[in-house]
Amino acid sequence: MSAAVEARAVEKRYGSLVAVVDLSFEAEAGEILGVLGPNGAGKTTAIRVLTTILEPSSGSFAVAGVPHSRPAEIRSRIGVLPESAGYPERQTGEEYLRYHARLYGRNRDDARAAARSLLNEVGLGERSRSLISTYSRGMRQRLGIARALVNEPQVVFLDEPTLGLDPAGQRQILDTVRRIAAERGATVLLSTHLLAEVEETCSRVLILNRGRVAAQGTVAEVAARAAAPRSGWLRVPPEETEPALRALAALEGVEAAAGGQPGLITVRLKEGDSMNAAVRAVVDAGIPLLSSELEGARLSDAFLAMTKAA
Amino acid sequence: MRVVTAQELRDLWLGGRGLVLTFAFSLLLSVIAYLVATNQALNFLEHRETVNLLLQVAIAVGALLALLAAADTISGERERGTLESLLLTPVPRLEISVGKLVGSLSLWLAAFLVTIPYVWFLGRGVGLVGPALATGIVVGTLLAVFLASLGLLISVFATSNRVSLSLALLVLLALFVPTQLPSSAQQGWAGGLFLRANPITAGEHYVGKVVTNAHGWSQDLSWLLSPLLCAVVFGTAALIVGARFVRLGGGATG
Repeated sequence: MSAAVEARAVEKRYGSLVAVVDLSFEAEAGEILGVLGPNGAGKTTAIRVLTTILEPSSGSFAVAGVPHSRPAEIRSRIGVLPESAGYPERQTGEEYLRYHARLYGRNRDDARAAARSLLNEVGLGERSRSLISTYSRGMRQRLGIARALVNEPQVVFLDEPTLGLDPAGQRQILDTVRRIAAERGATVLLSTHLLAEVEETCSRVLILNRGRVAAQGTVAEVAARAAAPRSGWLRVPPEETEPALRALAALEGVEAAAGGQPGLITVRLKEGDSMNAAVRAVVDAGIPLLSSELEGARLSDAFLAMTKAA
Repeated sequence: MRVVTAQELRDLWLGGRGLVLTFAFSLLLSVIAYLVATNQALNFLEHRETVNLLLQVAIAVGALLALLAAADTISGERERGTLESLLLTPVPRLEISVGKLVGSLSLWLAAFLVTIPYVWFLGRGVGLVGPALATGIVVGTLLAVFLASLGLLISVFATSNRVSLSLALLVLLALFVPTQLPSSAQQGWAGGLFLRANPITAGEHYVGKVVTNAHGWSQDLSWLLSPLLCAVVFGTAALIVGARFVRLGGGATG
């Protein structure tokens, strides 16, 4: 098993309730794998199984080359930010990280140095001696990420690290995630609801739905699987709306209609490349095209299509 | 082993509840010491009985603190969301259980330290201080180990912290009920067996024999059998169960 994470037909059941079924995937060293899925899709359960917090009902997996039969060894090689992680309110950020560094076998001096270095890395250096009770949610999440890195992990699992954060906080966390993969060479499994950010942060995605893998691959591969027909819109000068609609009516595979605003035309495409033909038809008719957009080619559309269809 | 234990002690005593609980305990002892000293001055209580009464209260309340602290350990961390981070480290579950048990027992030890000056004050002059303190530390430690282990066991399996604390208190009340029974109910072989089987009543009976009746420490050792057995059995069970069943989810299946 050379992949950083390799799962084979992993299943987790609670009595008759099936949380994860036939989970099979691989994550390569240094890549950021986005784990997506609607609420209740099994993302957190899958992460808890892979991080050895829960035992799989069947199947096998290996993390950082260590088979799941050796959970303590896996735990020593991974870093995890659990969903809704709690923090000891009466400890300072530095004390908290120092304690966790000691739990991984570091001596006092090493633990102190690691705690300070990590707090600086996640931008909490100036608040290292403040009580955690005074930290904002975003600061706590960054502290959690620092804790996940305290043992120099080969694989980092981040379960909804941006949950409840404002856009600036989300941006900070995602920047940190990118740095972890780029500078540390660690594999990151990132569970999140922020599809737009996944598109720009993750090299590959794994979409879960009702405990099963609905899709996996690069963002482009998964996005391309969005179910046809796709749609888009064209914007022309308002007085050119009727001529543009006439030009589009002559095309096969394109259904055009006036949009809600003057000059806006919505198009429904039966084939993926019909948008090119629609744009060409409008331009060839001598109508100035102000703007156009093809919808249905984004990860969000693929996500919605796959999680709705299953 | 030291890292978790040291952190548990730090959490409890530096900024935690340890100091507050110990302060409340000392206030309680002050009130009781004042009342028994007054009663002694009025000849309602003999000198030895005042010490016995205070010591029994100290043992009971000190062990109760250990029980409640232990019942809050695993289930409390679960509810505060801090258990998962701890379980994600390579630290063995046994080490976590030992750390939490030691932390809980430290409350009893602190309670005993607070008790020493009160026993000295009430027992001075009749050569009672030494035997009373020796009996108190032995019986109190056995009961504290038993109750803290029981609390840890409950906490491991409890589905919520409220359930854990409620159940722990319920068990404690059930164990203390026999101490309030009329003396007629404690007569006969069945009554005697009942008193000896219950570690709380047996322990308190032993303390009473040594402190009030001035028996030698070895004279009534059979009364220590139940507290000793419970401490060993429940202490071992707590560590075995803790090593195997400390999990993210409570309940029997975890």
